[in-house]
Amino acid sequence: MDLVKTDSKNIYYPPGGILLWIIIFLELFTFGMALVAMVVYSKDEPEVFHSSRLLLNTTFGLFNTVFLLTSGFFMAKSVQSFKANNSKKSSLYLKLTMLGGFLFLGLKSIEYYEKIEAGLSIGYNTFFSFYWMLTLFHVIHILVGLVILSSVYVGLHKKESNLELEDFEASASFWHMCDLIWLLLFPIIYLIF
Amino acid sequence: MKNHLYFKVLISLLALTILAALVVILDIGLKAASSIILVLFMLKFLAVAFYFMELKKAHVFWKSAVLIFASIFLGLVLLIG
Repeated sequence: MDLVKTDSKNIYYPPGGILLWIIIFLELFTFGMALVAMVVYSKDEPEVFHSSRLLLNTTFGLFNTVFLLTSGFFMAKSVQSFKANNSKKSSLYLKLTMLGGFLFLGLKSIEYYEKIEAGLSIGYNTFFSFYWMLTLFHVIHILVGLVILSSVYVGLHKKESNLELEDFEASASFWHMCDLIWLLLFPIIYLIF
Repeated sequence: MKNHLYFKVLISLLALTILAALVVILDIGLKAASSIILVLFMLKFLAVAFYFMELKKAHVFWKSAVLIFASIFLGLVLLIG
């Protein structure tokens, strides 16, 4: 393990690295603009958006919010343990982080199955076009995040681990970005229309 | 100290989630409920960014960038919605 600490106060070294933060902002702007577009479209068809929103399972959405927030907490704890050179704890927290991700995906799969069974596919109406595009794009991010966390987990368990703190923090930031995106998506898609 | 901080942040985030759910249940009108829910979620967004992502330790540029993004997003959605 390489625990060389960087100076986060330096503009070029935000926690997780400058490149990842550029990606985070690009992602936030992409999702943000799509959500603003969704709100604009809802002005043309307020009834359609309202009745479609009522077809979504808000309870599933709330549970998924809890899964992602708790998963983010364990991710922060995992980084903290890694910094304290406690790889055992770090590994345990990392597993709990990934469990949160898998629970999110499990519940999302049930939700998607229900929607497909009810015939609420991507072409059903404007609301569901946005719903499928935005939530599926987010699910892809979760999947990529889980792959990244798995590689960190493998790196953590190698006998002669060359896992660096910077890489660990960057992976954690990517995972937290999935939280951030969900915190933008959930209220707009599931609650406000 | 930091142990408790992360836990406190998690509890606050979960409390805000429950609060948002209560706002949905309460019949206070769609417009008012939407505004409250959006503000609650923006608070959660900032808590995750500043505490879990440790942005509070970062340069003021990154802190400001996140705050500006959250404000513009919230402002636009409230204005259009």
